[in-house]
Amino acid sequence: MYYLGIDIGSLSCDAVLIDSGSAIAASVVVPTGARNRESISRATDEALRIAGISRTDIAAVVSTGYGRDRVEERLSSVTEITCHAKGITALLPGIRLLIDIGGQDSKAILLGKEGGVVDFAMNDKCAAGTGRFLEAMARALQVDIDDMSDMDAGAKGEQSISSMCTVFAESEVVSLIAGGTPVNEIVMGLNRAIASRILSLVKRTTPSYPDVKIAMSGGVARNRGVVRAIASLMGHEVAVPKDPDTVGALGAALIAKEKSTLQRRAAVSVSLSL
Amino acid sequence: MKADRREEMKTEEIMNQNGGAIGFACAYTPLPLIHAAGFAPCRILPNVDCPDQAGRLLHDNLCPHVKRILDRAMSGMIPDLKGMVFMNSCDSMRRLHDAWKTVMPDMNAVLIDLPAVSIGASLGFFRDELDRLSQTLEQWGGKAIDDAALAGSIGLYDRIASLFTALREKAGRSDLEGGWTTLQKAYNRASVSPPEESIAFLETLFLREGADIRRGEPGVPVYLFGNMLPEPEAFSLFESCGAQIVADDLCTGSRLFAAVETTGNHKLLGLAAGILQRPACARTFREESPGRLGDDVAAGAIRAGARGVIGYTAKFCDPYIARLPGVREVLKRKGIPFLLLEGDCTLRSVGQQKTRIEAFIEMMR
Amino acid sequence: MMKAYFTDLEAGIVKAINDGNSSHRKLYTLELARLGKRLYSGTDPIAWCGITAPFDLLNAMGVTSCFVEFIGAMLAATGVVGTFIEETDHAGYSSDACSYHRSVCGAAMKGIMPVPEFLIGTTCPCSGGLAVLENLARRFDRKLFVLHVPQEDSAGSVRFLADQMREMAAFVSRITGRKMDGGALRKSVEYSNRASATMREIFELACRVPSPITSRDFSNFGIVMALFFGREEAVTIAESYRNEFKKRIDAGDNGTSGRKFRLLWIQNRIQFRHGLEKMLEEEYGASIISDELNDITWDPIDPENPFDGFARRAISIPINGTTEKRIGHLKKLARQYRIDGAINPCNWGCRQGAGARGLIENGLKEIGLPVLNLDVDCVDSRKFTEGQLRTRLEAFMEMLDNREPLWQS
Repeated sequence: MYYLGIDIGSLSCDAVLIDSGSAIAASVVVPTGARNRESISRATDEALRIAGISRTDIAAVVSTGYGRDRVEERLSSVTEITCHAKGITALLPGIRLLIDIGGQDSKAILLGKEGGVVDFAMNDKCAAGTGRFLEAMARALQVDIDDMSDMDAGAKGEQSISSMCTVFAESEVVSLIAGGTPVNEIVMGLNRAIASRILSLVKRTTPSYPDVKIAMSGGVARNRGVVRAIASLMGHEVAVPKDPDTVGALGAALIAKEKSTLQRRAAVSVSLSL
Repeated sequence: MKADRREEMKTEEIMNQNGGAIGFACAYTPLPLIHAAGFAPCRILPNVDCPDQAGRLLHDNLCPHVKRILDRAMSGMIPDLKGMVFMNSCDSMRRLHDAWKTVMPDMNAVLIDLPAVSIGASLGFFRDELDRLSQTLEQWGGKAIDDAALAGSIGLYDRIASLFTALREKAGRSDLEGGWTTLQKAYNRASVSPPEESIAFLETLFLREGADIRRGEPGVPVYLFGNMLPEPEAFSLFESCGAQIVADDLCTGSRLFAAVETTGNHKLLGLAAGILQRPACARTFREESPGRLGDDVAAGAIRAGARGVIGYTAKFCDPYIARLPGVREVLKRKGIPFLLLEGDCTLRSVGQQKTRIEAFIEMMR
Repeated sequence: MMKAYFTDLEAGIVKAINDGNSSHRKLYTLELARLGKRLYSGTDPIAWCGITAPFDLLNAMGVTSCFVEFIGAMLAATGVVGTFIEETDHAGYSSDACSYHRSVCGAAMKGIMPVPEFLIGTTCPCSGGLAVLENLARRFDRKLFVLHVPQEDSAGSVRFLADQMREMAAFVSRITGRKMDGGALRKSVEYSNRASATMREIFELACRVPSPITSRDFSNFGIVMALFFGREEAVTIAESYRNEFKKRIDAGDNGTSGRKFRLLWIQNRIQFRHGLEKMLEEEYGASIISDELNDITWDPIDPENPFDGFARRAISIPINGTTEKRIGHLKKLARQYRIDGAINPCNWGCRQGAGARGLIENGLKEIGLPVLNLDVDCVDSRKFTEGQLRTRLEAFMEMLDNREPLWQS
């Protein structure tokens, strides 16, 4: 038996298949595009192909992300907050603080000892510090966003980006380039600006985080420069799982397994009592 | 036109047949006094979508409650009123009064002062302000008010208050058909109807058999506090996210119809004291124990058997903005989960935060 | 940190004065520094108050009192306000709120607000200000007294406020253990009256065409002078201002030569260092010769009946009342000072003041006075967008240049 978790985000649609032992059988990321249902089917089909199974082998589906109510065959829809907590606990047991930076929003999730959500803070009103922000900056710097990870190499941290808004930060970067500021200093400045926004978000959940394990998820977690800046500002190690993009979908799959198992047990106990 | 709006305008017709209707905007308005003067108090709710013009006259970054009321006035969506009573409950309300005089120059309008604390000389001052209001209402064609008339009106509104208390208990037990959505519709209707009519429909509502409405997983009991949320559908939304609202402390809800217990013969002074000592908006506090909003919210939540607290406040509300960090701190200390939502009094603004609400409920399950 | 700041500030000015380099502004700043020192001394009894508290009354009772927004302004002036405001973001204080208040709360959270003996809240000018006093009362666990300033300008209102002030005096006595000294109160009223009278003279001089005033002169003048009312410093400062302007007039010095535009500044100045006022003067010959908050709108206080006088004064201040009253007052200032244009900074988060910006603009349009509405955070320098503000100011100046003069000479 297999369980499917689908995370329909604004930029990408992720699918994770796990088996009855909770091992990951497939992990897929496709761009969401304009039509959700298409990307949902594409992600599902690709996951089935990789795992070498068919739809009938799927026992239950749980969906998450902003498009979570659009998956027809779902057992239930669960928010990304709960799914991310579930997913990160499976990948990195003992994590107590998760920072998730996606394409359009960022979240700080405080977890309890058992991996349940204790508190959370979301920023989904403004793009500053998210994937969108980095895309805009990559455009302004005329570089590939995938190359930005180590572009801060050798920088001394002399340049700060003062604008709090994506649009203004973009103009600021353009001016800095025109003024001859080295690219590595600009990139470090951007990374620090993101880190500062993230720290603000974290502090809304907890004023301090002395001995807790911290992790990051979401597409931006693949940007090593940003992770370094956050770790440095927080004065703390920050772990990043191998596939930071699919943490939510993994969590959804695990919840699908949990719920489906509970349902079966309940059905069994009813039939036993009859 | 929305069904609620049609309902409202029908009510307005009824009110015009009596002494006429007097508009009001704030839950601190002394409704029994207006009624005793022979008028029907009619709340101007921010529940009609009108073009956004108030921001130009006042400021865009101003209380959405006030702006939406002003937008109604600027779009001519105000019933035929004999006058409008404004309370000096906060800066935005004062500015609303200022703008109103410009936008509706032919309508009678008065600003009644409201003390920030409820002791000592403030009480006498507020009593004098209520006296000034009585005289103003008389100038607008109202009856002279005596203690007996005032006592009668206070009695009517206190009856409404106890009916709502009973209805809240029913809704909290999932025993009211339509749950808190029905309750909010009742609050809205009562705020634009003459009290006698309100008592009639509330009694009918109370006696109605609660249908077996327990579907699916029981909701997580939640205490809702804040200020302005007049949209009945917002409450369905909370319920669809898995919340079971067990009590409300909102000024479009329980605070508008809270009992004014008056003892003694001096009804005006009694009314003044009663209003100031009712469950308060954050703008009123106790001088001798400042910063108690958090403790009050926690106590309310525990008393109602809630497992978590949702705060809903209008954006740019300074009295609440200043006290929310304290509320957060107290609830955290007592281990009561807390979710704060900010909005513009509309369903839309709650809908946009559906993920947060769902995540909050999931967190508590 | 603040104690050091005020001590250094005082020392610097004293030295300058001893070197023969004195001025009216230096004297004013010196007393400000001394006030700051007293607040942070740790020995004098201090009280945190709302803006409309009767400081002369409190001074007469031997209490160093100050409105909390003063700390916000000082933090902005020192350039470090950002850290304190950020602290409030973490505690869940909305960034929609006024930065004066956020910075004060942040300062209290970081332990740099001196603990007061007591607090006096005032319901005017704003709800936000009163809320800060409530929060501080809880944080410091000190008693709070609230002065309700009525909206209606009537005999009943004056009586009510005067009675409250009498109660306030009794409250202060109970806490400090010091009875109100009739002689001290009388002296205090005398100083306040003399200072106010001199300020009236100053404002009359400022009205002249050409005006001897430059933009810097009146910055924060009226609102800070209120803190010195009741003390001799108020008189000394006022007299030095008056003497300075008289001297300029006698020397035929019009502040800045080539003066073209006479500006009215609405509500409060921007508290951190910025170059906009200088830019206006140097590039456009435009000076701020009047501020809304720099006016004496009350009659001399009767020493036989001081509480009535204090109450009347509080109620008379236009920004405490209706927008209609404010507009009436601004029109009066416009006529009196023959103003060419008004600037409304519309401080971020100000519901009370900036909340009426549309009404104010319309009101002043009635007398043909153009108003420039800006969007500035007067305290949080991190949000200062100089380029955008310059553009707006420049456009406004160009517009004024193209108009017929409003007031015929």
